[in-house]
Amino acid sequence: MKSMSTTSYINKRKVRGYKEFLMILPFMLLVLVFSYYPLYGWIYAFFDYKPPAPLSWDKFVGFKWFVSMVENKVKRAEILKVLRNTFAMSGISLIFSWFPMMIAVFLNEIKCKWFRKFVQTVTTLPNFISWILVYSIAYCIFNSTGVVNQVMISMGLTDTPILFLQSSSHMWFKMWLWLTWKNAGWAAIMYMAAIAGIDEELNEAARVDGASRMQIIWNITIPSILPTYFVLTMINLANFLSNGMEQYFVFQNAFNKDYIQVLDLYVYNLMSNGGYSLSTAISILKTVVSVILLVTTNGISKKIRGEGFI
Amino acid sequence: MKKKLLATLLTAAMVVSCITGCGSGSGDTGSAGGSTGGSATTTDTGSSSASTDTGSGDAAASGDAMVIEIYDVAANYQGMQTGWFQKVVKDRFNIELNIIAPQVAGDAIYQTRASSGNLGDIVILDATDFKDCVAAGLIKDISAEYANTTNLKQYDEQIQTLNKGIEGIADGAIYGIPTEMTNTSPTSVTDENIYSSPLLRWDLYTELGCPDIADLDGLLDVLAQMKEAHPTNDAGDPAYPFSLWPDWDGGDGMLGIANVVQLTTWYGEKIKGSAIVKPDDTMISLTDKAGSYYRILKFLNKAYRMGLVDPDSATQDWNSACAKMSAGQVYLMWYSWQVGFWNTQERLDNGTAFIFIPVKDQLYYADSDSYYGSGRVWGVGSGVDGEKYETIMKFLDWYASPEALEFQHAGIEGFNYVRGEDGKFTLINDNALMDNLPVPEEWGGAGYSDGNNAINQWIVAALSTNPNTGEGYASKFWSSYKESTMTQMKKDWSAKFGATDPVDYMKKNGVLNVSPNVSVSLPSDTADISVIRNQCNEAICDASWRMIFAESDEQFDAMWDEMAAQMDGFGFQDLLAFDMAKEQIEIDAKKAAK
Repeated sequence: MKSMSTTSYINKRKVRGYKEFLMILPFMLLVLVFSYYPLYGWIYAFFDYKPPAPLSWDKFVGFKWFVSMVENKVKRAEILKVLRNTFAMSGISLIFSWFPMMIAVFLNEIKCKWFRKFVQTVTTLPNFISWILVYSIAYCIFNSTGVVNQVMISMGLTDTPILFLQSSSHMWFKMWLWLTWKNAGWAAIMYMAAIAGIDEELNEAARVDGASRMQIIWNITIPSILPTYFVLTMINLANFLSNGMEQYFVFQNAFNKDYIQVLDLYVYNLMSNGGYSLSTAISILKTVVSVILLVTTNGISKKIRGEGFI
Repeated sequence: MKKKLLATLLTAAMVVSCITGCGSGSGDTGSAGGSTGGSATTTDTGSSSASTDTGSGDAAASGDAMVIEIYDVAANYQGMQTGWFQKVVKDRFNIELNIIAPQVAGDAIYQTRASSGNLGDIVILDATDFKDCVAAGLIKDISAEYANTTNLKQYDEQIQTLNKGIEGIADGAIYGIPTEMTNTSPTSVTDENIYSSPLLRWDLYTELGCPDIADLDGLLDVLAQMKEAHPTNDAGDPAYPFSLWPDWDGGDGMLGIANVVQLTTWYGEKIKGSAIVKPDDTMISLTDKAGSYYRILKFLNKAYRMGLVDPDSATQDWNSACAKMSAGQVYLMWYSWQVGFWNTQERLDNGTAFIFIPVKDQLYYADSDSYYGSGRVWGVGSGVDGEKYETIMKFLDWYASPEALEFQHAGIEGFNYVRGEDGKFTLINDNALMDNLPVPEEWGGAGYSDGNNAINQWIVAALSTNPNTGEGYASKFWSSYKESTMTQMKKDWSAKFGATDPVDYMKKNGVLNVSPNVSVSLPSDTADISVIRNQCNEAICDASWRMIFAESDEQFDAMWDEMAAQMDGFGFQDLLAFDMAKEQIEIDAKKAAK
């Protein structure tokens, strides 16, 4: 009797185990197919690959493409320039990462409901405009006969049009401004949700104790959403090297490329004309560095907050 | 309980739709034919079971017409061919054309499709890529079927020459058909205009008293006077002699800014990658300060410092530049087709159109008629077989026939042109393409431009002689057209320059450097060379734009030297050696043809 019940118990556990495995299987497959299978493509970095010849015909060259990245002064300078831009752009975003949080906090303080909704919608909408359209808008505003130049000329501030899009000054900051215009409202949504989760009793108790608005923000709202902020910042830190390419791709021109070409854009520019092997090699290095960053920030998070996020 | 039932039903419905969706896609013809059970399908299966299976499979998948995929580097449109040209093709072969355009989808599609082993049923590729694809087994040997063609056989000499140059195939085998062959000769220039020459507005030029232009500085003076007299167009928008655009840079394996590369042909030189071929057939480096690339860049910089260059030149795209051309905000054009954005019949009549104005010290480079082809190649995908293969070969043979060429180059009879009693054509509805005029219902309706041949590439060029009329295929070669465009402006031009047309002027004055058309097989870039080419091209394009906008000669030269040093760091010298060796093959062939 006893042995019977144990086996049936074990069977039940087994069946449950299978069931749960089946439930998770689709997601495991998705991860395998879309995240791990593509790693097979890394193989191209070790060959002199050139389409349409299949890979099996190409010459195995070992680490040639990795070496070629840094083999002379000009190429080293190029890579360093690209890295500098990547770090600068990501760094600026990181330094200003509190910005969406503050938008959320202040939005929350607006008591007039329709006005709050209005502001939130207006700041969120740009997120859905593609970069290519953003550039068209920028071009219409800032070209030599654009709105800004016409206003400046008619006001007598300048007599020759200023070529805003062609200037390379403050490029990193300008790019951050565009990015913020597009993304800040969207990024604030996460914090709005976090603020909504704050226990209303805390606020009421504070008000009864005679706390002012600023004091409530400073002592209750911000500390309550800081964990969210930390997690998002850590994730951003792990993505430090991947700041995307669309934005920089549409804004790039001969005059600002020295400051705008980030790693992702550099890989794209290289690959678009057949440099498959070299761009794969660069991507591999990028992945390796990103993994190191992720592990490091996770370690830091464990030290500071007592828990990691992976 | 109800909810559960509903959920189960919905899931079941989803699963069923998924399965059936996949089923018909993966093409089990038997069951698909059986389940749809339409009368057409049943008869179809019945009749075709006697012949081939693949045929009925294709037919069942797409209603009743066979779909032919065309991988086409010339196309600007991706998707199914629609409108009147689709009707023309379907009426004759019962096929639909699905066009895959790397110009739309991006070059990466070449790599993905090539590695899948099926580029397309019909492929149109650049000659060097074509060779690689033949070597990779992606292209079919069409020798047997080619032998049975009639129209293609008219160009047997050219087709044989091309295929002799493809390495690794059997002697006498046919894999490719050149694009835009002609039935003229490899050294003649049939067109009245060459591809690139200085084109000025006739009204603005005569307003200045038709001054003789001695050199590039003289040209700048004339343009400066034009801008001073007309700083805006009629609508009041600022006008500039030069409006450039950067988005064509680096296309076609070219190094440097597309606009500059084109202007270098004004001094008889031709840029081939990293090398410049001089009129005496010697070669120098692109970065040589004695070469025409430096010279033209300097010319544009001088124009910029005189305030003649549109300040948006480096940041606008082709569409913005094009809009300015159509609005009359540009006073200098250089591509022969560019005038199409301004020169209408009305403007030719009232003398405000663009026309070639010679600069005395220039020697114009021109490619001769593309007798052996224009550098691209047609082929058939190696995976094509059976009925589809037969249809494709019939289609290609028809595509080179006079009937098809009339459709391709002149349009629809009765809509775009009428046939006179002498058999010659006269143009009607000359704005059909520009204004997308509605096509008569019997030709499938819809707009003319929408339904125009989206393959955008021909086996036989428009300047070839049509055996039905004795004139070229395109309207500009018709005697009726020449008569109607003999406007006062053209007469004045002829009187002033003592020639009937620009090419006539160049020939009479000995300033035309004709490069004969040859068919040679050139090596394609290795993986190393393509990386160097890519990086050098980016370096030279970026620096060139900055140089055009340089504020002084010192700054200009400093930028040039910095650029040269950077390019050397990327391996420019290797690239130059590669390109010179490659170009020598072509030069030798051209010398032999002269």
